[in-house]
Amino acid sequence: MLRWPELQESFRIATSSLRVNLLRSILTTAGVVVGVVLVVLMGWTINGLDAVWEQTISIIGKDMMYIDKWNWAGGGNWRKMEARKDISLDQALVLQQRMESAEEIIPLIRKWGGSVALGNTSLRCSVTGTTAAYGNTSAGTTLAGRFFNDIEERSADNVVVIGYNINKNLFPSQSAIGESIKIAGIPYRIVGVIEKRGFLFMDFVDNEVFIPLHAFRGAYGFVGRSFSVGIKAGSERLLDIVRDEATGHMRSIRNTPPGDESDFSINEMKAFDQQAKNIRVGIWVVGMGLTLLAFIVGSIGIMNIMYVSVTERTKEIGVRKAIGARRSSILLQFLIESALLCLTGAVIAFPIAQLLVGSARFLAVSVFEMDWASVVSPIIPLDLLGIAVGVSIVVGLLAGLLPALKASGLDPVEALRSE
Amino acid sequence: MSQPIIEIANLVKRYEMGDEEVFALQGVTLTIARNEYVALMGPSGSGKSTLMNMLGCLDTPTSGTYLFTGENVSDMDDDDLAEIRNREIGFVFQTFNLLPRATALQNVELPLVYSGMPRAERLQRATQALERVGLSDRMDHKPNELSGGQRQRVAIARALVTSPSIILADEPTGNLDSKTGQDIMRLFGELWRGGNTVILVTHEEDIARHARRIIRLRDGRIESDEVNPHAPLA
Repeated sequence: MLRWPELQESFRIATSSLRVNLLRSILTTAGVVVGVVLVVLMGWTINGLDAVWEQTISIIGKDMMYIDKWNWAGGGNWRKMEARKDISLDQALVLQQRMESAEEIIPLIRKWGGSVALGNTSLRCSVTGTTAAYGNTSAGTTLAGRFFNDIEERSADNVVVIGYNINKNLFPSQSAIGESIKIAGIPYRIVGVIEKRGFLFMDFVDNEVFIPLHAFRGAYGFVGRSFSVGIKAGSERLLDIVRDEATGHMRSIRNTPPGDESDFSINEMKAFDQQAKNIRVGIWVVGMGLTLLAFIVGSIGIMNIMYVSVTERTKEIGVRKAIGARRSSILLQFLIESALLCLTGAVIAFPIAQLLVGSARFLAVSVFEMDWASVVSPIIPLDLLGIAVGVSIVVGLLAGLLPALKASGLDPVEALRSE
Repeated sequence: MSQPIIEIANLVKRYEMGDEEVFALQGVTLTIARNEYVALMGPSGSGKSTLMNMLGCLDTPTSGTYLFTGENVSDMDDDDLAEIRNREIGFVFQTFNLLPRATALQNVELPLVYSGMPRAERLQRATQALERVGLSDRMDHKPNELSGGQRQRVAIARALVTSPSIILADEPTGNLDSKTGQDIMRLFGELWRGGNTVILVTHEEDIARHARRIIRLRDGRIESDEVNPHAPLA
């Protein structure tokens, strides 16, 4: 039976004993402080990576999938994919005719090592040939101007939509719309600028320019290149249906015998989730290992100091028992003291962790100008603090258990006799 | 004699010291009634400390029976004993044994904390107990701010606060000068006249002389048990 006055008394004793041995208490909690800091940093890092990852893969578009010779997430056998037949424009167009469930089917063809020139300035970029439909995807959203349209496409106009970085570098102080730039020696009229999409290691997507398919063929030709077919499902819910339909048509278009593996890949955001999960598990395992180590070291320290405390206060325990403290009262007293000791560690750890988190983010964003880091929270989230408090209390209770049992089991006669 | 508080029959306590067996008590039979004033005397090794620990329910006998207000405490478990000590026994020690970091009032309150009494009532009763020992102006002082006599008074207030059946004092003047010792003995006399049962454990004849009944132990047995001819009149 637990009595309220006893509980209050236990807290009073615990706090006063921690105060009296303040320096000793603080030094003792060092291990717990390190443990709590690690827990908080680990949680914050995982949260931050999630945010960065979310931002990164959203470039692909949540409702998009891309049929490609290559598996973007890097899975599968590279040699086997190398040996696949290229996807041709005809195949993309047939798919476009047959697909019923998707909103848009967009053939894409890319030259990675291209360049654009304005006057004497030349910038390396990738050049993508596509259709006006690309303007209807989230990736084709313009910051200024518009995407090229069907009419420009059909009339073989030399129009171009430029990526964010190209615009920033070529036209730092004026509007790019209506200006002319050269791609592969041919002048193009800029009709739009794509909004910023690049993020972290996906920054290259902002170094891209989009031209109509016919212009691409004129500049680089289709031979030796494989098309990628962008499919806009229109909604995340439809992804499964669209994927199934696209797979079926694509197999039939490429004459894949039943039972054989498809000779193309369908790339979606989901494919990257597994990678994200692996990274997260990796951090978790390493972080957990370090944290566990810190807490084990910390709890040995706590246990040791609690044994010292029990020995120092043997006489007091005897007196308390003589005047009516039961085993449970003494047990409670020392458990609370040990838990409060750990909690002190957690309280010391929070400002330290916050300082580390804040400075890490500040350094990344302001000093090293890593824009991507700005999506990471500069403040430790409350739930992490809650977890850290909970963990430290549990560690305190576990570390204090043996000393508290020793104290509560003391023989009152023996304890009173001690000096 | 009025109703007995303590009835002990054939109490034996045996310790094992290595291979040797030591009989601290070898069959003690004793009855103490309510509102008696008893001194327990004997040289060291006589078993008086062991008997005091038994009487105070701090220890249990190897054999024999101990009825405390009719209840058999010989085979109670730790927690039951703790409750009896809390409710029925007020301890006064030679070295006072106050908690150093607690004020006089908090020290006196402590037994009531362990009996689960609400704070307001606790404060009231602890204050009254301190008034009774003449320390109402020292309630917020810590033990190291009090003189030896004052500390022992706090300890007596702590013993009184639960209105116990017996007050068990182990060499209560052993750490005090003789004048302060006399003051403390006067206080025990007042408590006894006020209706309390007082058991003194001492090896000093002067101190034992305050009691109405003197029990002498030797080699774990009662050597004599007689009315004190020198006792001051009630």
